[in-house]
Amino acid sequence: MTLNKSTTKSYETDASGLRGKAKEVIFPNSIPEVQKIVTITPKIVPRGGGTGLAGGAVPQNGQDTVLDLSKLTRIQSLDKERSSIEVEAGVILDDLQHHLKRYNLEFPVNPSSHTIATIGGMIATDAVGSRAIKYGRTSKWVKWVDIVDSQGNLQRKGATELSDYAGMEGTTGVIVKACLKLSPRKLRTASLVPLETVKETLALVRQLKLDSSVSMMEFMDKRISKDLGLEERYHLIVEYESDKGKIKDGAYEKLLALRDRTYPLLASEGYTRIEDPKILTDRFDKIMPWFESKNIPVFGHLGVGILHPCFNHDQEKFIPEMMKLVRKLGGQISGEHGIGLLKKSFIEPNDKKILVNIKKRTDPINKFNQGKVI
Amino acid sequence: MSTKKVSKQDKLEAENLMEEVQEIISPCIKCGMCKSFCPVFKTLREEHHSPRGKAVILSEKILDKVLFQCNLCKACEVRCPLNIKVCDAIKKAREAMVLKGHELKQNKEMITNIRKTNNPFGNDPEKSKDKLYCC
Repeated sequence: MTLNKSTTKSYETDASGLRGKAKEVIFPNSIPEVQKIVTITPKIVPRGGGTGLAGGAVPQNGQDTVLDLSKLTRIQSLDKERSSIEVEAGVILDDLQHHLKRYNLEFPVNPSSHTIATIGGMIATDAVGSRAIKYGRTSKWVKWVDIVDSQGNLQRKGATELSDYAGMEGTTGVIVKACLKLSPRKLRTASLVPLETVKETLALVRQLKLDSSVSMMEFMDKRISKDLGLEERYHLIVEYESDKGKIKDGAYEKLLALRDRTYPLLASEGYTRIEDPKILTDRFDKIMPWFESKNIPVFGHLGVGILHPCFNHDQEKFIPEMMKLVRKLGGQISGEHGIGLLKKSFIEPNDKKILVNIKKRTDPINKFNQGKVI
Repeated sequence: MSTKKVSKQDKLEAENLMEEVQEIISPCIKCGMCKSFCPVFKTLREEHHSPRGKAVILSEKILDKVLFQCNLCKACEVRCPLNIKVCDAIKKAREAMVLKGHELKQNKEMITNIRKTNNPFGNDPEKSKDKLYCC
C-alpha cells in the first residue's frame, strides 16, 4: 500500500522535528514483502517508531521511499531455557514487555520512548536508556539479526557482524527480525536524592557505582527539578533492583513517568534541541559549570556519563563549543541518539573513515538511508 | 469527498477554524507519546492514523479524509506531555472540511441515518441490535 501526497507528510518528520520530503511510503506486512520492495526500490529510508532525535528516519529531497516496518509485529518463539525470544522489527518495546510479563522475563534496555520505540529502531540506533549502567546498550542483548541487504537477500548476522547493523541507523540494511536475550523480571524500587552541589552529586554517583543492585542513576539539574515540581536542588533518581529504595509500587511508577516527561516538558518551554554527549562520569564536574554558565538545562544517565543538555533556539550556537569541550574531556559527541542528520558535521575524520568502510562493504550501491550518519 | 459551492461566509469560518487548529497543535514537539494510547494507531499501525501523524498533516494546513479516521476518544490527550487537545483540533478541522464541502460521503450518510433512525446504519434500532456495539 502506498499513500497520497497529503498523508505522506506524516512520514516526513520524526521526534527530531526535522522536516524532509518523501517520494512515497510503503508498509510491508511480512519479511518476504520487505525483500520484494527492497529489490525494486532505488532509495530506501527504513522507519520504526519515528522516535529518533537526530533525524535518522527523515527522508530527503523527495527521492526516498519510506519503508515503515511498524506492521512487522510478530512475536515468535520464546526459548525459556535460554531466555531468548525472536521478534520482528516493528514490535513495540512495551508490547514485548507485556508479553514477557507472564513468563517473569523482560528485555532490560529501557529508553524513555519505551511506549512507542520499536525493536528494529532500537537495534538500528543501538539504544541505551536509563538502565545503561547495569545493562548497557541494546546490541549487548541481541543474539542475531535478520537483515535484508541491498539486493533483497535475507541474511542472518550473528554477534561478530552485529556491529555492521546495530547503531548504523539503517544505512547498511533493513533489520527485519532479531533474537533478543532476556533477563529475569526484577522487583524495583527507587530513591529520589536531593543534592546541593555538583561535587556532592559526583561523590554519591561514585559510591553508588559500587552497589551492584543499582540499575539507574538519573540526574536532573536544579532548574529541571523545579520545573518537575521538586525542590530547586540537583536530584538523582536511584533505582535499585532490590527493596533498598524507599519509593515503591505505584509511587515508583509515577517517579519513572515523571523522569520520562523531562524532555517533552523542556521542549514545551522552547528547549527543543536535545543533545547526548557522553563523558567519563568523573569529568562531570568539568562540564557542568559550562552548562550552568550558559543557562542550559541538563538531565541524563549520569551513571554512564550520558548527559542531555537541552538548547533553545538562541542557545543552539553554543553546540559546536560544547562538542569541542566534550572532545577535550575525552568524550563522545553522541552517547545514544545517533548521528542521523543533526550530528554529521561533528564526526571525527577517523570515525567517519570506519563508518564509510562499513557502508561500502554492506551497501555498495548506497540504497539505504542516503545522506545519514556519513 | 463531495464538493459543493462554498459561500464566502463558510470559507471565512473554515479559515478561522483552521487558525484555531494551528493554535492548538503548534506546541507539538512530535515526540510521538500519543501513539502509545491511540486505539486507531494500535490497530492500523500506520503513522498517518496516529495523533502525531494527523498533527503533522494539520500543521501543513492539509484537510484530508484521514481526519475522519479518529475515534475522538481523547486517549492521546491523556498521554500528551504537553496536554495538547488533539481531538479538539481534529473536530475543528472536520468542521472546516464540512464548511469547505469536503465532507466524506459516508459521514454525511451516517449523520442522516442517525437523525432519521437513531442509528448510524439507517435501520430500525430494534432490528440492528446485533450490529451495534457502541451506542
